[in-house]
Amino acid sequence: MKVIIDGKTIVAEGKKTILDVARENGISIPSLCDHSQLIPFTGCRLCLVQIKGRRGYLPSCSTLVQEGMEVKTSTPRLRKLRAKILELILTEHPHACLICAEKENCDEFKSTIRKVGETTGCVLCPNNGRCQLQDVVEEIKLSKVNFPAVYRDLEIKKQDPFFDRNYNLCILCGRCVRICHEVRGLSTIAFIRRGSETVVSTALDKSLIDSNCQFCGACVDVCPTGALTEKAAKYLSLPDKKTSLICPFCSTGCVLDVNLHDGKIVSSQPSAEGAVNKGQACVRGRFTLRDVLYDSQRLTQPLIKRKGKLEEASWEEALEIVAGKLKKYSSREVAVMSSPQAFCESGYVLRKFASQVLKTANISSASCAAPYPAYQDLFRKEKIMPSLNYKVENISHSDTIFLVGSNLSQSSPIVWLKVFQAVKKGAKLIVASPEKSLYDPHTSVHLQHHPGEEGTLINYLSRLFADEDAVSHNLLSSPQEGRDAFLKRLKSLTLSELEMRTGLSKEKLQQAYDIFTQAKSISVLFGFEAVPGSVGKRNLSALWNFSLLTGAQLYPLSLESNARGIFEIERHFSSQVKCPDQWDQGMIDQQIKALFLTGPYPLPKKAKPEFLVVLDCFENETAQKADVILPAAAFAETEGVFVNMEGRVQLSERITISPGDARPDWWIIAQIAQQMGNSEFPYKKSSDIFREMRKTIPAFSHVSYPALAKGKEVFVKETKAGKKKYILQKPSIQVEEPAKKYPFQLVLHYNLDYYRGLALSNALPGFQVFRDAHRIRICPEDAEKLGLDSGDSLEVLSPYGKIKGRARISNTVNPGLASVALVNPWYHNGRCLNVLPVKIKRGKE
Amino acid sequence: MAKVNLLQLQELRKKISGSRDMEKTCITICGGTGCHAYGCMQIAESFQAEVKKRKLQDSVDVRVTGCHGFCERGPIVVIQPDGIFYQRVKLENIEEIISETILGKKILDKLLYTDPRTGKEIITEEEVPFYKKQKRIIFENNGLIDPTDIRDYIALDGYQALGKALFDLTAEEVIQEIKASGLRGRGGGGFLTGTKWEICHQVDSDKKYIICNADEGDPGAYMDRSLLEGNPHSVIEGMIIGAYAIGADEGYIYVRMEYPLAVKNVTTAIEQARKLGLLGNSILGSEFHFDIHVFKGAGAFVSGEETSLMASIEGRRAFPRQRPPFPAESGLWGQPTNINNVETWANVPLIINRGAKWYSGIGTKKSKGTKIFSLVGKINNTGLVEVPMGISLREIIYEIGGGIKDNKKFKAVQTGGPSGGCIPAEMLDLPIDFDTLTEAGSIMGSGGMIVMDEETCMVDVARYFLQFTQEESCGKCVPCRIGTREMVDILTRITSGKGEEGDIAKLGELAETVISGSLCGLGQTSPNPVLTTLRYFRQEYEDHIKRKKCAALACKDLIVYYIEPDKCVGCLLCKKNCPVNAVSGERKEVHVIDQGLCIKCGACLDVCPPKVGAVFKYTGKKKEKILKNESTKRVGK
Repeated sequence: MKVIIDGKTIVAEGKKTILDVARENGISIPSLCDHSQLIPFTGCRLCLVQIKGRRGYLPSCSTLVQEGMEVKTSTPRLRKLRAKILELILTEHPHACLICAEKENCDEFKSTIRKVGETTGCVLCPNNGRCQLQDVVEEIKLSKVNFPAVYRDLEIKKQDPFFDRNYNLCILCGRCVRICHEVRGLSTIAFIRRGSETVVSTALDKSLIDSNCQFCGACVDVCPTGALTEKAAKYLSLPDKKTSLICPFCSTGCVLDVNLHDGKIVSSQPSAEGAVNKGQACVRGRFTLRDVLYDSQRLTQPLIKRKGKLEEASWEEALEIVAGKLKKYSSREVAVMSSPQAFCESGYVLRKFASQVLKTANISSASCAAPYPAYQDLFRKEKIMPSLNYKVENISHSDTIFLVGSNLSQSSPIVWLKVFQAVKKGAKLIVASPEKSLYDPHTSVHLQHHPGEEGTLINYLSRLFADEDAVSHNLLSSPQEGRDAFLKRLKSLTLSELEMRTGLSKEKLQQAYDIFTQAKSISVLFGFEAVPGSVGKRNLSALWNFSLLTGAQLYPLSLESNARGIFEIERHFSSQVKCPDQWDQGMIDQQIKALFLTGPYPLPKKAKPEFLVVLDCFENETAQKADVILPAAAFAETEGVFVNMEGRVQLSERITISPGDARPDWWIIAQIAQQMGNSEFPYKKSSDIFREMRKTIPAFSHVSYPALAKGKEVFVKETKAGKKKYILQKPSIQVEEPAKKYPFQLVLHYNLDYYRGLALSNALPGFQVFRDAHRIRICPEDAEKLGLDSGDSLEVLSPYGKIKGRARISNTVNPGLASVALVNPWYHNGRCLNVLPVKIKRGKE
Repeated sequence: MAKVNLLQLQELRKKISGSRDMEKTCITICGGTGCHAYGCMQIAESFQAEVKKRKLQDSVDVRVTGCHGFCERGPIVVIQPDGIFYQRVKLENIEEIISETILGKKILDKLLYTDPRTGKEIITEEEVPFYKKQKRIIFENNGLIDPTDIRDYIALDGYQALGKALFDLTAEEVIQEIKASGLRGRGGGGFLTGTKWEICHQVDSDKKYIICNADEGDPGAYMDRSLLEGNPHSVIEGMIIGAYAIGADEGYIYVRMEYPLAVKNVTTAIEQARKLGLLGNSILGSEFHFDIHVFKGAGAFVSGEETSLMASIEGRRAFPRQRPPFPAESGLWGQPTNINNVETWANVPLIINRGAKWYSGIGTKKSKGTKIFSLVGKINNTGLVEVPMGISLREIIYEIGGGIKDNKKFKAVQTGGPSGGCIPAEMLDLPIDFDTLTEAGSIMGSGGMIVMDEETCMVDVARYFLQFTQEESCGKCVPCRIGTREMVDILTRITSGKGEEGDIAKLGELAETVISGSLCGLGQTSPNPVLTTLRYFRQEYEDHIKRKKCAALACKDLIVYYIEPDKCVGCLLCKKNCPVNAVSGERKEVHVIDQGLCIKCGACLDVCPPKVGAVFKYTGKKKEKILKNESTKRVGK
């Protein structure tokens, strides 16, 4: 269509607003409340324009262009009106600096004088230079405010972690409120009160932490003024360089924009260019990057234990000792553990080191907190290999989503956003979890099942499909092979037993079933909690069969940033993925004598390894027992490739230098290998390694650094095998009667608030408060029985060990249940636990 | 009651009418809001008890009806079929009404209304001057029916229009009829109702909504409340017809929570209509399905704005949104929606029943029908009045309203609620309709009419109304949220004697910004009180600013209370009543007010005996003089 804006004829396509079309064509219209990710608000009234044939002035941010429309964006009357409106905005915003004739001269001093408690002018504002209000004043060329200034004198809210809220600077554009509601699905904040007393706040004006804020920082990022600012922003240097990297924490693979000053990271923000995160981040990527990197527990020098004390040493000494010692042990006497948060290059070098130098099969991938071991187990035997790759973006296009065995909104908030986007478009969400969640309002059916019964629940659902009537249903136009046998097997399950085991009535399941039968595109998202350890294979086959029955797409979710990448490397070397606890017994029996750790492994109490090497970034409990500590370069300090849960291969660049003498994992391992007499590790830089990986590992054969650097969308190459067929599994084991000794069941959540040796909740006080870390949730009824109050010290005893924490009385759990969020997976018997029988008692204060 | 079809409804009507003895005595007690406040329910109960005590149930009915409108004179009791009109009835009158009037057929003179102009006592309702000039077509049955009993409504041809619409007319014909009637929206906008329906009718959609806007929020206005309380079925019938014409199957009545009786009566009415099959599936046996929900609003003034109202129904903060898209295209939950005000809906059955031609015969060229005004302020006959469009302000104020209280001088009338304007005495002969009011700088609005006398300061009035809109601004858009606050600040300064040169120009400029820049009607019309008072009473502004003078003697900061020494008799009354001991003087000696202590509460003026009349308010030069004298005295001391 053709439109005329300011006399210029413009060809525009599709449903676009005047503002968008104008800006695309170089015509600037000032605005403050408009934002590309948000529905037009039309509150600031700065983007008003005149349209021929229409009465009055219309906001260009919400008015769509129409064929032949004639728009004027800058008549004298409009300019005057805009200036007046801006003047009104400025009466409530400290504006002395904005209209100061000498504002240019202030520049030199800006970074120093910002460090005041209260912002009364731009030069004192942490947002100075990034402020859109400044830009608008500049654009409108306002030089005077004719009305008396009104200082609203609102209390500056500093009680929450990560960011402060100074609503004296707020212009009520509503972006924060809208992004929280529209994009993040939470509505933590809203407008309260009316008239000139209108402010943004939480319900009942509580703190953010008490209002279920997830501290994703989306509100801070869209705030056009300095009203919402990162806590440290006042005290940090102004950035002198901007670049980006891949978030190192979880396996979503978000791209973060990073601000640097003098080569050091000062802050990070989600990148709009991020293929997965598209301008959004979670608390970890938004607020913790800098603090993690520069944490005081960071290992910066090689350390060697001498006379029971760890002492600083040179690389030569440390490497010599490690190489010398490791040489002494046989392949059965050493065990190696890789880190799912290390880059592929490091993982590859370590894996090669284990098999070629140490020649050991004792290697754990530590990516056990993912559905991958179950995949490997099940499909190797069945000689089929379904695709593991997917695009999380597709979740947002499905009309039915089934989420099972994952604390998704906490562990992978960005993936949760895709679910929320679908729900916003009308998709139905079915959640199976033993606990209620913050996002229940978006849930159509919540199947609050007994913990550990995910597999039963899925069979229960399939069982409904197996009924006579449903067979004729077109949903059963799915693959034939093994179907009849599968349906027969299902029918042998009695509903009453399923009901008893899951704790869910048929009516409840029927609600979910009805949704599934109406669905056109189903996404099934499942985390490792649905397919844990020994029952993983059986549960996965249940999920697989269910997906064949309903035509659902499976989305296996993983936790750590490179869990998938390490898995791809591991499965190239070995047919089995091992969990670290598989050598627990070996450790205790002293069959394994030397341990080379690059990932989290809680040493069994009774284990006393002869030689323990820890190659990691941060000091922690296990590291304290080490004989040699080798400080590794962290993310941002070395370049490398991450593979996210989708199978997306992304290159994270080196943007800063390592503190002290920390070196990349691969460099350290290669040095040891060389010292042990192996010449196959001649790497000078990480790209050398990747070139080798391309040749040896088919999954990466099509990937290259230059292509990745250009931002090309690349996924792991998969070799799919076999055809789709139903898999029959033995009937599930009978449930163990709960032992009287352990009357409670403890549900374990893993949020991955962890980076290579550092638990975020230990290092960052704000994070501890936010995650409610070390809190064990119990319901009010149980709390009363046990005589406990919120905050009381607790001891939770299980057959496999105990946990200490404090009680949090909460309605999210049912009687007989407790729940806790753990930093690292808890392994037992080759399985990562998601529930365990426990006894709860009051702990010592 | 079982569901009825058209034929059965007509039979039901005959049956109800037939069973009712039109000659049977019926004591009707006004159950409107005003009378409620006077305690009419106790009066009704006493009547019932008394009738029962005397075993008169077979010959006397007692009925609580809708509002009669003459609220000034409540509680109102009308005895039918003779139409004897008793006003200001008290509990102690009940026994004698029964014994004297009902049994003895004697009229109690003391309860009759006396025409203040002629001094004559008036027996029947229609003879009361308050009603004489009115044209009560919407209110016609308000005083006759029990709003909680659908049979009363049906007996008076209720739901006849619905039958006609559903079975004799197509949707297009209904719209045509409404268009031909010239009915304009009574909520304030004055948009042609038929055209509005037509637009929504033409939008193709599986789901459409209609809404009845009963979020009446103007200070002093209560006509919608009165209709919903007194004759809810007329509104419901209008809505069903509208839904049929538009093609909606679901409707909402958005009514303020602060109107408990309206909520109760309209809810009862909906239930009764549903039971009779007038709502729900296959209405009156037709193919048409429609039902209504009652939604209680939490009371924000801005919720009356249509987009804001819909946001509120959807469970969001009552923020208005930019139009387009208009509700007819994308309204409630994104579906085409038609929204009309209570009074508009109540007009619909009348038009369908009696025809567009009859309806358009009432009113002026461009404004047809009647309009209900809530007549309040400094007027003798406060109440709800229904008048034909085109009637003059003078007729309303002097003939219906009985003139200004205490024989004071009329100064201005404020129409259209807080967003309306003030019309001065020179324009009393203005025939009022949508367009003349707009021309005069005011608006019809929803029909608020606040009468002001000579003791009202127009600057203060403007400040008051703007303060109201400012407090009720939703806070979404800048011009309304901050612009009105800025205007209130200036007006407050002026009324407190701190006005500056240039303030008037600033007000004008701000008004322009707020009008052109605001998002919704609330902001766009909020400067009207300022603009009209500036237009008609500019002198008062200038007096306040330049001469620090408030001619109406209303602005506290611009007046002094002064005891004229030659009139004071030294009775000590003012001294005793002064809350701050600002009055000094001994018995039989002249009293003096200490201006430094005086808080201008006016207690001295109130207690000074009228025959003495020694306390005066002064402003301007005289005030300055008094203050100057006092300070000289002090210095002297």
